[in-house]
Amino acid sequence: MTSAFPWLLLPLFWSARNRTRRREPGDGLRAALFGGSGLAVAGALFAIAFWLTWQLLDYEELGDYLIRLGLGWLFLTFLSFVAFSGVVSALSTFFLSEDLRLLLPAPVPQSRLFYSRFTRTVGQAGWMVVAFVLPVLLGLGLARCAPPGYYLTAVGTVVPFVVIPSALGCLVTLGLVSVFPARRARDVLMLMGLLFAVALVLLVRFLRPERLLDVQSLPDVTAFFATLQSPVTPFLPSFWAGESLFAALRGQLDLLHLGALWTSALALSVLVRAAYGRHHFSAWSKAQEARKARFTRFVFLDPLVRLLPMAAARRALLVKDLKVFLRDTTQWSQLLLLVALALVYVYNFRVLDLERIPYMSRLVKSAYAFVNLAMAAFVTAAVAVRFVFPAVSAEGPAFWIVRTSPVKLSSFLWSKLWTGLLPILVLAEALTIASNQLLGVDPFLRMLGAFGIAFMTLALVGLACGMGAEHPRFSAENPTQVAGSYGGVAFMVLAVLYILTTVALLAWPASIYIWHEHRGLPVSPGRQAAIAGALGAALLLSVATFWSAMRRGVRALEALG
Amino acid sequence: MILVESLVKTFGSFRAVDGVSLEVKPGEIHGFLGPNGAGKTTTIRMIAGLLKPSSGRVSIDGYDLAKEPEAAKRSLGFIPDRPFLYEKLTAAEFLRFHGGLYGLEGEPVEERARELLALFELSGWANELVESFSHGMKQRLVMCSAFLHRPQAVLVDEPMVGLDPRGARLIKDVFRVMSEKGVAILMSTHTLEVAEQMCDRISIIQGGRIIARGTVPELHALAGTDDPQLTPVFLKLTGGGAFQEIEL
Repeated sequence: MTSAFPWLLLPLFWSARNRTRRREPGDGLRAALFGGSGLAVAGALFAIAFWLTWQLLDYEELGDYLIRLGLGWLFLTFLSFVAFSGVVSALSTFFLSEDLRLLLPAPVPQSRLFYSRFTRTVGQAGWMVVAFVLPVLLGLGLARCAPPGYYLTAVGTVVPFVVIPSALGCLVTLGLVSVFPARRARDVLMLMGLLFAVALVLLVRFLRPERLLDVQSLPDVTAFFATLQSPVTPFLPSFWAGESLFAALRGQLDLLHLGALWTSALALSVLVRAAYGRHHFSAWSKAQEARKARFTRFVFLDPLVRLLPMAAARRALLVKDLKVFLRDTTQWSQLLLLVALALVYVYNFRVLDLERIPYMSRLVKSAYAFVNLAMAAFVTAAVAVRFVFPAVSAEGPAFWIVRTSPVKLSSFLWSKLWTGLLPILVLAEALTIASNQLLGVDPFLRMLGAFGIAFMTLALVGLACGMGAEHPRFSAENPTQVAGSYGGVAFMVLAVLYILTTVALLAWPASIYIWHEHRGLPVSPGRQAAIAGALGAALLLSVATFWSAMRRGVRALEALG
Repeated sequence: MILVESLVKTFGSFRAVDGVSLEVKPGEIHGFLGPNGAGKTTTIRMIAGLLKPSSGRVSIDGYDLAKEPEAAKRSLGFIPDRPFLYEKLTAAEFLRFHGGLYGLEGEPVEERARELLALFELSGWANELVESFSHGMKQRLVMCSAFLHRPQAVLVDEPMVGLDPRGARLIKDVFRVMSEKGVAILMSTHTLEVAEQMCDRISIIQGGRIIARGTVPELHALAGTDDPQLTPVFLKLTGGGAFQEIEL
């Protein structure tokens, strides 16, 4: 046995290396899309940090104060994220990882196993924060012409800053798994995380940050900053990180806060090591116990579905899909986030102040009606890629049951389509009708929006269902992986193209109609034909998108094997 | 009941199954033996409708699997070697779902499911999630589902994997009763003792081709061995007789 603990991390690197060597179709597109988006976000963060710091240079003491406050808040935000991420990562690396069954019976000293798992946890919990924080700190340093010591301090600050919340996360996980079975703990955590995200989205939106851009509300800005001060406490690592970096920015070395960061990181690591030695094996053993799982029976579902006029096989598929979805915490909990996003979506239109430009109001409202249509369609596409696209892949290795049964694969795929289509149609219609109502748009546009989104939903859900069948990933661990696969990315690209084309095909004739109606002029027969042609083309495009995707999906399923 | 004619499956330039033909008559238990990688599972998967043959024909209960897949599958029960199931369903719900796929609903299916769960000693687990089942329990649940719709033909890939001796004994008894009732059973197995005890006829496949077929005495005669066990016959026919000593 090789002595150093990094040996145990090698399979991780080898797997990553092998993944990059074995190219799958669409890897280039995916790498370009994700890599490009990542670089764009990093670039934007750098530019914002640089610009803000540059602007604050003019305000001397106030500028310094705001930078110091901003640094503290930046790290405070990330502190909670890394701590939560640490809890989830530790659950996976210390308890749920498949390779533990191989490593625990091997003659690996406990300390080596701990250090390898702890390194993995810190890496998994902290990489995203590092990726976000570094461009910000770089922008800050360059705008303030910081000395080289600042960049060294940045590295020396971020490392212990990530270790501290990760170690705390590990401690919480060890405690949790000592009480709950590991898989139950994962469900509880998933739900907590999601509720946290929902609360954050709602909180940020309902604070109405756009008010800060309004010149008339300047006194509010002062009050806003005043509220930011209170929670920052000198006992948190975020404060120490902010202070160390602020000192380094001015060419000083704040040994007190740097020392506090490093000693806390080391002390917590030692503490986690001790807790691991004492509790891990018993907690891991407990996680292996085959307990009868608690679950909701949904006894009302079978008789309810039996009322629907459909074949027995379709009924069986529908009941199965609903029960599997509703019993999987990682699945149904996503609905909470969806509800929060829908609320924010409608709320955005409620607070939109279009009356500020009275003479433009009608025109702006009409334009917004189409922006709204496009946005509702994007939301539909996003929901479809998360819930409908992975529907076939969700059968996983159990797909043999359907494939060896006397059920046509077309019936199977249509069943998946209907299960997804109806709830998404209700959501899309509700979003479009409610937001158009709040905007107060023309009745003609309201009707056009309601019909338009119905056809667009049909096309988008059909596209997601068909492409999901064409690019299945039966070995995927969760639906998010399926949605992020080559097929998922290709679906989003096609969906965006479809949405833009359809909105253009609807907006052009609608604008002609409204322009004529506004001026009280009759629409000429030629124009009428053009309007009908454009609307017909939008309808035809939707039906063709739906039909061809579903047909290709059925053919792909039939050709499996 | 199960008729396979000149079945071929190629993966690129590799010919995994090379012109396999076999027939399993009603009431017959037909063993399908062969060394690892011989093409057993590929053949079984093609007969189950999980894999598309490159050429050849499969028919079940007189229905061509390629032309009338639904009718052919309606007569077939399939037991795979690895029991992947829907983990978030209970055993009873899974059987209800399975019945629905075969167009069966209501009290008769519920009654049949209860019978089978009792037969395979899973009654106490009927309302528990499949995710809390052991491998052997999942395997027994798959068997319940395979017999739920009273198939005319049953296809079994490695039936004894993961079963305890009690479970293995139960399966043997169930297969015997089914065969007495006229069900055709095609069973792929590595357990030669099981094949010897249960099968009316045995086909041995190697390199994708059937190299021997017959009853146990016919295979003994073919191999020219006097040994009463099937293992030496199998080794001789498949070329594994040259035992190589290795240091362990």
